[in-house]
Amino acid sequence: MLNKILYNTVLCQTFSPCGKYLVAGNIYGQLAVFDLDRILNPIVELLTSDYNQPKQIHTLDSGHQICSLASTEKFLIVGSVNLIYGWDWKGVLGVKLSKPSWVIKIPSQSSLEQIDVNSLWISDDEGKLYAGCGDNKLYVFNLEDGQQALVMSEHTDYIHSVHGKNDQLVSAGEDGNVFLWDVRTGKSHNKLEPHSNSKVSRPDIGKWVGSAALGDDWIVCGGGPRLALWHLRSLDAVTVFDIPDHGIHVSYFHDDCIVAGGTAKHLYQLNYSGEVKVELPVSATTVYSAVLRTSPNKVLAIAGSSPEIDLCTSFNYRDQILHFR
Amino acid sequence: MGKEDVAAKKRRKLTSNSSASESSKQGPTDVYKRVVEFEEAEAQLRSAEKDAHLFKKICQDIRQIFAEIAELKTKDTDEAKEKINSKRVEASLHLVALKKLNRLEKVRTRAGRDALHKEKQRVDSTHLHLQNLLYEADHLNKEVTKCLQFKSKDEEIELVSLEDFYRDAPAEVSRPDITKSDEHQLQLARLEWELRQRRELAGACNELVASKERVAAAIAAARSRLDALSPHLRDVLKATKPLQECLALRLDEKRDEARIASLLPPPLFLLYANASAYSDALGSKIVTVAISGDEDEARRLEQQSNVDSELVASNDSDSDQENNDEDQREKKKRHHRSSKISKEEKAEAKKKEIFRKHPLHVQVSVIAQDGTSLNLIFSYLLNLKIIVVKFTVSLSKPVTGVSAADVLNGHCILNELYPSDTGNDSPHPATAYLLKAAGICEKFPHFIPEIGRPYIWAQRMCGLDFMATIMDDQKSMKVVQPCPTLSVTTVENFILTLKKRLKSRVELMKELQDLESGKILPAKGTSWPIRLSGSLTQWQSVGWPEYIQSPSTAFLISEGLVNSNDMLYRAIITRQSAKLVALVALRSDYPKKAPIFSLTLHWNGTHHAGINDDLRDIERVINTDWGTDDGKLPTLSTQMTKLLTYLDILLETTGSSEFPPDKVMFNPVRGRNRIKPYKFIKQGTGVFVQF
Repeated sequence: MLNKILYNTVLCQTFSPCGKYLVAGNIYGQLAVFDLDRILNPIVELLTSDYNQPKQIHTLDSGHQICSLASTEKFLIVGSVNLIYGWDWKGVLGVKLSKPSWVIKIPSQSSLEQIDVNSLWISDDEGKLYAGCGDNKLYVFNLEDGQQALVMSEHTDYIHSVHGKNDQLVSAGEDGNVFLWDVRTGKSHNKLEPHSNSKVSRPDIGKWVGSAALGDDWIVCGGGPRLALWHLRSLDAVTVFDIPDHGIHVSYFHDDCIVAGGTAKHLYQLNYSGEVKVELPVSATTVYSAVLRTSPNKVLAIAGSSPEIDLCTSFNYRDQILHFR
Repeated sequence: MGKEDVAAKKRRKLTSNSSASESSKQGPTDVYKRVVEFEEAEAQLRSAEKDAHLFKKICQDIRQIFAEIAELKTKDTDEAKEKINSKRVEASLHLVALKKLNRLEKVRTRAGRDALHKEKQRVDSTHLHLQNLLYEADHLNKEVTKCLQFKSKDEEIELVSLEDFYRDAPAEVSRPDITKSDEHQLQLARLEWELRQRRELAGACNELVASKERVAAAIAAARSRLDALSPHLRDVLKATKPLQECLALRLDEKRDEARIASLLPPPLFLLYANASAYSDALGSKIVTVAISGDEDEARRLEQQSNVDSELVASNDSDSDQENNDEDQREKKKRHHRSSKISKEEKAEAKKKEIFRKHPLHVQVSVIAQDGTSLNLIFSYLLNLKIIVVKFTVSLSKPVTGVSAADVLNGHCILNELYPSDTGNDSPHPATAYLLKAAGICEKFPHFIPEIGRPYIWAQRMCGLDFMATIMDDQKSMKVVQPCPTLSVTTVENFILTLKKRLKSRVELMKELQDLESGKILPAKGTSWPIRLSGSLTQWQSVGWPEYIQSPSTAFLISEGLVNSNDMLYRAIITRQSAKLVALVALRSDYPKKAPIFSLTLHWNGTHHAGINDDLRDIERVINTDWGTDDGKLPTLSTQMTKLLTYLDILLETTGSSEFPPDKVMFNPVRGRNRIKPYKFIKQGTGVFVQF
């Protein structure tokens, strides 16, 4: 039998608050910690063949897949199955994974039910943690005490992604809906149905929406339906991006650009009018995570269904490949 | 006027001359001679310095006279003219005197020159004489040194030392009174003693040779008696034959084999001894051993090698010389021949020589339970000093199905019996050098089809361990000695391994036969409770080029998980319009290693793991142990069953109306990666879940 790590799939990544470490989580419940300092500024004399391998690989006790990651100044927040863990950063960077500093359990109806925490989003000014989960609900927790503040349940299938900006929150789900939420009341005030828009829908891939993100006046979302830019107030699909993908799993705004990836050979950077600005070749069959950071280093890390993680420092071409194996 | 004076003077002179010529007419030669002699004598007598002074004085006088004449001429008086005339006469007389002086000087000069010349000649002759003398002296010196360096024959003769000589030699030979003082006499005495002793020794030698011949004759006589005995013994043996047959003893055959076995080269002998011991101990039902090949040829070869070794043993300077002579002769012969034989033939002969096998082979047959047997023929390459193996398989039942038969055929069955032992290259590190030395440019693997495969286990069974020689690299060229203990352990291990391999191959063959006819049998003991909608429509073996062509296999090849030594098959599974092509790679040590699947789905376009996560997920659950709880290694059939199930799940979760949901599953998709439920839980009728 082959080693399962050959078929590794990385679902999520995050940077440590200092920007020196990249943490990636996979479906086997493993957390890989990469030392970016060593990888990006290698000392030639000390360079070993395993420099592009993780500094540390931790395995969760439960063995459940790691669906989402988020980071705050103090904690690495790990969304797994039924549970959200908070680890002190020191505990993660050490040789052995320490006990989590705190654990939040997602309330479930039955013991058999397994709820994936598919997406985590932290609102810094509110001090709240938003978790889009496999039981079709969006939970809001206070980061201060871990108490559940709100539950938003209007999706009819599991949630793929959560993102917020300026008191607004957007979530995308397997049911094909993109909800816009009022954070204070926990009610949705608007929704998009990309699969019912003939310009955007792709019935052969499905109606699910893999990713949605908020800009100042815009929403970008895609999944089974094509990646499209929607106007926030009129809720019209202003630009439909024509890229050769078989499903979008990553999309967000960055510097007047839209970064998008999924089941495709490239990760795309597009402008609002639909022109492709950069095509980054990726190792993964499907990109599930593309995280970027501009300080202290400009780094874009692309991971997905592959043991390899692509690292770009210029956002223009792939310059290193990390091995999560 | 002056002219007249001169003319008169001339006339006078002429008259004097004429008078002189008159006198010379009487004896012209005499007069001339006399004058000359007189003048010469005069020249001798007078001193040169005085003449020089005289000459100067006369010159002075003439100048004075000229000056006076010049003065008188200015006066231009008759008296002056007179005076001039007298002066003129005076000057003329002076001139005559000058002439005389000049003549005398000339004579003197010539005389001096003659004297110098004479002196020079004398010096020359003396010098020549000196040279001659020097040369002669040199020659004589050389002769002397030559004589001094002369070596007499007696110096080459080794003599007994001086003390021994005085101790052993009788007094009449040694004569110490004379020899102690006279070196030459001593030498003569010692030589005499030497001669006497040598004569004695020669006599003793002859005597001994004669006695040796006598003994040899005695031995020959005894041997002929023994030889005469052997037919009798043979008759006795023949007489026992009926008895042996009666008692079912195989004494004769065993004796024969033992006799042939003694002719085997050491490595093969070890193999034969150990394998036959193993066969005796565990019964010939599992292993049989035999020797085949040309016995006479082997005997000849052994004799030849004996002669060779004797030659090497007699390490005399003479034999060395002979060898050299032989070499030269051979070279010459070759030279002659090469003009006749073409280069290719020569190369061919060389090739044959380097790959020459020992005429005897050892045959080992290993028999599996169902009667399938594998015959291995071990041969020893005399020059490369390695063992090569050829093999045949005999089946108890004919095999139906092309790919199934391949499993039990040829190289495939022995491939990687031990990890990475493909038998594709010589294990002996010296082989490459030997080939190069023989001028063969092809690499060793080029000749494998012709001579057989040099598996490492074969070398080890014969007690050859090349790893040991590689270890001490300074002596990597040394002759590898067969090691008996290695052979013993390897033979047993090999037979067990081979039996296991044979058994698993026979099972695999049955499995493949079923697959080829489209049947997928459930694994023993467990029945798969799920209805399968797809069907296996094709199963056939494919080649390596075809395998690597498929884009789905790129990942497996780049990771080095599949290589060209593996057995490769293509399975096609269809369900309605969907067609799944699975490329299956079986390692040679299957079932120790699970088959590796590589999938391509043709439905709504072409999908494979490189571009489609769903197929990657299926490959993951089939190829890795992720998601299976039992630690058992899956067989090909169970893997195929799983593959059919997963194909059903994949197609049914697409929501297409062509594939109505049939399986029970909690969630058709789950998680951001939209994974399908490939894990089966026995709960009620069975439920599929993701994790």
